This record gives sequence, structure tokens and C-alpha cells, in this order.
Amino acid sequence: MLQLFLIAFRNLGTHRRRTLLLGGAIAGVTALLVLLNGLSNGMQATMLRSATTLSTGHVNVAGFYKVTAGQSAPVVTGYPKIIEQVRKDVPELDYIVHRGRGWVKLVSETGSVQVGLGGIDVQSEPGIRQVLQVKEGSLDALAEPDTVLVFEKQAKRLDVKVGDTVTLSAPTLRGTSNTVDVRVAAIAANVGLMSDFNVFVPSQTLRSLYQLNKDTTGAIYLYLKDVKQVPAVQARLRQTLAAAGYELMDNDPRAFWMKFEVVNREGWTGQKLDITNWEDEISFITWTLTALNGLTGVLIFVLLVIICVGIMNTLWIAIRERTREIGTLRAIGMQRTRVLAMFVFEALTLGALGTLAGAVLGLAVCLSLNSANISVPDVVAVFIMSEKLHLAINPGSVVGAMVFITACTTAISLIPSFLAARMKPVTAMHHIG
Amino acid sequence: MSLKSVMSAAVLAVALLSAPAALALAPAEMVKLLATIDDRQRNGGDYKALVYLEQKEKDKTDTVREAFVYRRDADDKLMILFSRPKTEAGKGYLRLDKNLWSYDPNVGKWERRTERERIAGTDSRRADFDESRLAEEYDPSFEGEGKLGKYTANMLTLKAKQGVDVAYPVIKLWVDKDTTNVLKREEYALSGRKMRTLLYPRWKKLFSESKGADVWYPEEIRIYDEVEKANSTVILIKSIDLRSLEANLFTKAWLESKSR
Repeated sequence: MLQLFLIAFRNLGTHRRRTLLLGGAIAGVTALLVLLNGLSNGMQATMLRSATTLSTGHVNVAGFYKVTAGQSAPVVTGYPKIIEQVRKDVPELDYIVHRGRGWVKLVSETGSVQVGLGGIDVQSEPGIRQVLQVKEGSLDALAEPDTVLVFEKQAKRLDVKVGDTVTLSAPTLRGTSNTVDVRVAAIAANVGLMSDFNVFVPSQTLRSLYQLNKDTTGAIYLYLKDVKQVPAVQARLRQTLAAAGYELMDNDPRAFWMKFEVVNREGWTGQKLDITNWEDEISFITWTLTALNGLTGVLIFVLLVIICVGIMNTLWIAIRERTREIGTLRAIGMQRTRVLAMFVFEALTLGALGTLAGAVLGLAVCLSLNSANISVPDVVAVFIMSEKLHLAINPGSVVGAMVFITACTTAISLIPSFLAARMKPVTAMHHIG
Repeated sequence: MSLKSVMSAAVLAVALLSAPAALALAPAEMVKLLATIDDRQRNGGDYKALVYLEQKEKDKTDTVREAFVYRRDADDKLMILFSRPKTEAGKGYLRLDKNLWSYDPNVGKWERRTERERIAGTDSRRADFDESRLAEEYDPSFEGEGKLGKYTANMLTLKAKQGVDVAYPVIKLWVDKDTTNVLKREEYALSGRKMRTLLYPRWKKLFSESKGADVWYPEEIRIYDEVEKANSTVILIKSIDLRSLEANLFTKAWLESKSR
């Protein structure tokens, strides 16, 4: 075995230029794969962190209330009782918050925007402080009644600064027009798509705008100690809440605001709970991850084909150059399998060394990009929910990329190696190359 | 001061003091006035009108839409079918059993909508095209008499009756003293903020066979958004037809057939 590796090393060393060219290509593909994996993992991590803090919990107990068949509102009534029940049913719970939900017209002296409204009790929101970067004002000021937190983009569009008054205008649950004048208490840094369509007000302000009772909220967000427990918790809650007498909506893995059409079409009135998870609530942007993963796959496939053709071609040339050597080796007693292994080991060694170099290069690029703290264009920020580019390095996926590319290059080398092994010693020795 | 002067002063004082009382409308009179306003606009039978909607919005191009409004007041049925521009043609609203449905031929879907939502994204509401129900929905109070241009108007404040769902819980109404036409209407949100101002510069009447009397309609309604001051809508009501409509007109199938 060691002998075979030595032969492989010797052969690679003999054809240094060819080895460097092919090894460099393998290293390039590996580095690209590591980089794209880092980008994909980073996007996923950023999206998970931003989305699960700003617009969804890991698991959500939300729902709709319909006064008449045609008037639905994202409202959960009697939420303290539901929270009590959830605490009993979900031991995996880390913490729990509830948020009001709404859709309002935010009007300033100079402009207006349609935005989603989040009603929060800022004092009892541990996660929101970690995600929101307040540029002006203070998050604590949001504890005062009739205040609002807007994002930089919205503040610019409305031409408002901290201390200015804006009007929230929306119909109540029964369709009656209502307004609330609120003071801008804080302006936060943009958080991609989340900051385009969201503002936050104290829960009580949201209730007074929609004329809701004190025990009414929009959704109960459950944060678990381990995100992997989401499916089990979601399935369990469906059973326990139904058993507790709550009416549940059929599972629809989409964001709540995408369900109005379906809910309004149905003839029921009253309250129905909807249990969703974080992936459902940001399903409208997870396609970016799928697209990125798809693009990575296609790119890697094309590059791999090129590499494999290169390896095959190189081995063909090597076999042609070393036909007489193969003939001699076979004549002095080397078995066919040893000849096959000799060439396979050459490809394996080249692949292993190339991918190792590529992984190191990819990791170096990832780390330098992270340390450079690069701001992404607005269009990209919308989808990754972050103003900054963050690449997450997952050791498992780096090793995976190395193994995968090495395996591919080794596998493709089997074809020329097998043909080399099949040569008759006499014919090989008489070969004039 | 002479006795004549004292008497004159006394007469003037009595006249001045008694003037508001003479002008003020009693609650029953106000309810009757609202009922009259409602009744004058009701046909009792069917109603078809060609309507133009012109919408002005800040930072947006002005849009003009043409629509047909169909009403069957006896059954509380209402249909709005857009015919122009081409992109809007075939879209429509249908009010059935207190449900407002909207239809978009591009996706071929019916959506149940809030009764009090904007029509086609303009400042207009379903109620602007539907029959007037002021007496049914509001309790009036008298605010005095005032001048509105060359017209003398009775000013009323209407508050929504308990348990009645309306888009605007408070309305201020200027009613022409001579003709009983509504000249101006201000609509307020629950918070007390003024939301819309509507002006009715021109009223016309038409003899209705089914009613056996005249039916009044505003030929023009100017709607001003008071929250977003730059937004406004003008509704022009043209060519009213009070003849009976097809029996199966107020159905989803009929509206869908018009968009094919």
C-alpha cells in the first residue's frame, strides 16, 4: 500500500506542471464549493436569527378571528390561557413571547407607507435587542405608550426623525376606520426584507388601534432550546390544543399574511388557531436559499465534469507514456489489480492534495470576507435579512466537500486505470509511444 | 331711554334669543330629514349607472377607471363591473348577503373582501355606490345652520347606532336647506380624526317608473383623503338607467361571463 502511494507521489512529482495544473483546478473547485457552502450556511443562519426574532418564533401559535365570514383578522383571543397550556405541553421551551399583528398605513407629513405592525412588550422581549441595532433613539422608549420603532429606510421615505409624530391608520376588526398618533421613539438599522414591511409599537397601542381586548394578541412565539425539536413540538401542540377544545386550521406551510385569501374564502366565523413554524413564516424568502443551493450544485457539477475530463485525459496520457513500463511490471509479475490500484492511487493522491489546498484557500477567503465586514447591496440585503455579508463555516460541510471531490476524481480515474490493467504484457512491452 | 327704545330692545333680544331655537331641528325632524335624504336616492327597483372614477395619488400617475354600477335595492344587491382601462376590464365587486366579493379575471378567482374597504384602491368605498342608509345606521344631532358657498345648509352630526358596523362612526353632514340635497360630508375615525371629506356639487333627478317618483343622484362626488392630503378621487355618475335588470344579473356566473 505504502509502495503504491510512493509510486503515486513519484509520478506526480515527475510530471510537476501537469500535476500543478490539475491539482490547482481541483483546489479551485473545492475552494469555490467551500465558499458557496459558507455563503449558503451564512445566509441561512442570518435569516434564521433575524426572522425568528423579528417576525416569527421557532414555533408559533397564531390564528385568525372572523367577526363575519368576510372579515378576518390575525388575532388570538384569550392568549394567557393558551400560554399556560403551551408551557405545560412544551418542556423543550426556552422562552415565550406574544406579539400583536396588523397591517396599517403609516402616514407622516410628507409621505405614507403600508407596513406590517408588530405589537411588542419590549421589556419582555429578550431576543429583539440582539437583532435590532438602534441608530437613533432608544429601544426602551418603546415601553412608553403610543410610540413606534421604524427602520432607517422607512424613516427616510417618511422623512421623520426621533420625536416626530406619525399616524397609524387601519380599520378595526369590525371594519370601522381608526387612527392612532404615535411618536417615533427609535430608528433601527435595516434588517433586509423584515425592515421593509415592519414597524413595532407597544402592544397596548396596537390594541387601541384595533379596539382589541386586553387578553388578545396576534401570535404566541415559542422559542425552543433546540431548533431541531420544532417538528415534534409542532405536532404535539396540534394534538394538545385540539384536545383542549381549540379549533385548529389545517396545516398550511406559508406565512400568515399569505393565508388571508384562503381564510376569507371560507365561511366560518369565530376563532381558529394556526400552528406554524419559522420555516413556514419565511417560506416566501427561503426560495433564495434553494436557488443559491441549486446554483451551487449546477456550478459545481459543471466544474466537476471539467475536472473529471481533465483527470481522465491526464491518466490517458500517463498510461500512454508508461505503457512499456506497465508491460514490464506485468511481465515481472505485477497483478492486474495492482496496476489498477497504482493509477487509482495516483488520482486519489492528486485529489486529496488538491482538495486540501482548496479547502484551506476557501476557508482563508471565508475568514477574510467575514473580517472585512462587507456591506451587501440593498437587493441582496432584502433577501439575506442583513446589511452585512456573513459566511458561516461548517467543518462538516468543508470535509464533505473535500471527500466528495476526491471521491469523484478517484472514481473517474477507474476507467483509464482499468484499461491500463487490461493490457497484455507482450503488447504493452512492444508499444512504441 | 324711551319706552319705545326699551320695547325695541326687548323685541330684538327676544328675537335673537329665540332665533336658534326656531332654526334648530328637533330629533324627530332630523331623523325625518335623514329618511328623506335616503328615500330621495332610493329607487325601489333596479338601478344601473355608468361611473367614472378618477384617482389622484401622491407620486403616482393619475388613473381613470370606467365602471358600471348595478343595484337592486329591494334585495340589497350591488355589483360594480369595471370596463376600462383594458387592464381593469372584467374586474368587479359583487355584494351578496352582506358579503362583498371581488373578482379578478386575470387569476379567475373570487375573494371575499371587507365591506368597508376601498374600491379598486381609490378613496371610494362600497357605500359611496350603494343606496343611502343614513337613517338606519346613524343617530343625528343638530349643529346649527351655516353657509356653504351660496347655499344655506343644516349641519348635522351623525353618530353610528349601537351595534351597527360602519366604516366611519361619526359623520358631519351639510344638508341644503332648500333642496334637502347633501352638499358636504365629513367622515371621522373612532379616534376622532377626520378621514375623508366628500363634496357633492351637482345633484340631478330622474323619474322612476318603479318608484313612481323622482330619484335623486349626485352627478359628481369629490372625495378628499384627509389622512394623506395629496390623495383624492372624483366620481362622476353618468347615464342612469332605472329599468329592470336581468333576473340573474347579481350572480358570480354573470360577472364572470362579462370578463370572458
